[in-house]
Amino acid sequence: MSQSRVHLWLMAPALLLMLLILIIPIFAALGLSFTNYSLGNSGANFVGLQNYEQIFTRTTYQKMFGATIRYVFVVVPITVGLGLGAALLIKSLTRFGDLYKTIYFLPVMAALIAMAIVWEFAFHPTIGIINSTLEQGCGTVLENWGWYANGCERTFPLWLTDRNYAIWTVAFIGIWQGFGFNMVLYLAGLTSIPKELYSAAEMDGAKSSWERFRLVTWPMLGPTTVFVVTISFIRSFQVFDMVEAFYPQGGGPSKSVYVMMFALYEKGIQQNLMGIGAAITVVFLVFVMLLTIVQRWLVDKRTHYV
Amino acid sequence: MSNFDTSQRIFRFSSSEAIKHVILIFGALIVLLPFYVMLSYSLKAPAEIMQNTGGFFGTQEPFRDDYCIKLGNAVADCMVTPWIYNYQTAFEKAPLLRYLLNGILVTFSIFFIQVVIALPCAYALAKLRFWGRETVFALVLFCLLIPVHAIALPLYIMLAKLGLTNSYAALVIPWTISVFGIFLMRQFFMTIPDDLIDAARMDGMSEYSIIWNVMLPSAIPALMAFAIFSVVAHWNDYFWPRIVITGNRDLFTPPLGLREFKGDADGDNFGPMMATAVVIVTPLLVAFALAQKRFIDGITLSGMK
Repeated sequence: MSQSRVHLWLMAPALLLMLLILIIPIFAALGLSFTNYSLGNSGANFVGLQNYEQIFTRTTYQKMFGATIRYVFVVVPITVGLGLGAALLIKSLTRFGDLYKTIYFLPVMAALIAMAIVWEFAFHPTIGIINSTLEQGCGTVLENWGWYANGCERTFPLWLTDRNYAIWTVAFIGIWQGFGFNMVLYLAGLTSIPKELYSAAEMDGAKSSWERFRLVTWPMLGPTTVFVVTISFIRSFQVFDMVEAFYPQGGGPSKSVYVMMFALYEKGIQQNLMGIGAAITVVFLVFVMLLTIVQRWLVDKRTHYV
Repeated sequence: MSNFDTSQRIFRFSSSEAIKHVILIFGALIVLLPFYVMLSYSLKAPAEIMQNTGGFFGTQEPFRDDYCIKLGNAVADCMVTPWIYNYQTAFEKAPLLRYLLNGILVTFSIFFIQVVIALPCAYALAKLRFWGRETVFALVLFCLLIPVHAIALPLYIMLAKLGLTNSYAALVIPWTISVFGIFLMRQFFMTIPDDLIDAARMDGMSEYSIIWNVMLPSAIPALMAFAIFSVVAHWNDYFWPRIVITGNRDLFTPPLGLREFKGDADGDNFGPMMATAVVIVTPLLVAFALAQKRFIDGITLSGMK
């Protein structure tokens, strides 16, 4: 090994950019979050914890946390569950598995902003395909269902503009977009399970497929699940495109879809309240880092067994 | 007897298989619904969209383009076929072609710079022994935790202070460093035998030419996967362009162009807007259809962490 300093030259550009683009902004955000800085002002005043106090007391931000938590805690379990379910079903097929895989993966590839606009059409109260399909079910057995009868009598939900439905409709689109990604991660995880384990489990008396799943598949997928859950959390915390496309101002009916990334954009970019925006950034980063640390910890704990 | 057994087995087997197919087909229909709506609306006339008639393709009966008449043309000259009208308007009403070129330029610049920056660093971390290597690698692992979108505000302030907002540079700069790229390529370089590098050194190659002439060619599979990961992420990105590009249409990327279209869409523009969406979504979907396995590997690469 030569004693040269060539490694410094090789790493210098990357290290410099890491510092400038990733590390310094974190500290900048931390610093700014204690000020009332606005872009264009020559200076800023130190305001202490005032920004954080606002975030944790004002109703606007309570709505922000409410919307984000609702979205995240609906989207993460369902995308993980559907991803696993689809992977198990596809894996057990003898034919056409690849076709389903391709179809379910399409939404991951398509620009979310474009698909969000299409969904907005589909959910349109009068000309949308969803409500017009629902209307065709009127007068059939479906009317025995109270919700459905109600929809036929008056109108079906306005979906994206109804504050009782908006966040769930947005979450539905998030699920539609994200579960295919989890599916392929699970398919990769399933492929790596040794076949002998299933024969061994069968010999030990695991006859039903549920038993085999409980005794072999699920434990063996542990590391995959930890990763899938973490990445789903991080992705869904960052939901923005749909919210901005549907509700360019204000975050939806009664701010019911006022998610964190949108709040960050509205406060920081649109209203130039950088201090508050920076405080939201810090809270957001703390969430994400905590999640990842928990993930790493879980993974490390597991690797002791293997 | 044995014959009976097999037929029984095949029957049982295929009935459970059939249930699985029913579930999966139901899922596939929901997944494909918006793609169907998008494609169908991009072909149909405004009236057909509003009244939900005409099936998938619409009747394709010529309709009167009111805007054309407003410009003082004769009615006979203003009859247009719906699908042609939609796609033509998509390209003419907004500079969609320009947006697409911007998208290509930005996505490929990002990827190119990411590789130029990340590869040497990955090589040093994988194949050179020096004091502090573990520390640098720990820093890389830490930086993997930072979602760049989350630190958009300080980055935006930095770019604004440098007078760089509303420029191509603003679209590219935050993405020039891909910690994930460094991590990925380092993992891949670790698997390349040291003998190969030692032989190259014996031949008198410099470390730089080893990186570009020895390591790079042997890392093509990993690089392809990273390329797909990077291109998909930045072609589809909406958040960052939305922040740094304000107003200047010449710099719009495809997602921004589509969003702008939505902003001023009235009833007549649904068709052209859907046509724009089709044009923006299609390149990646076609590429995906052609190289499925590579795409899925590329996108799920992050699973290798």
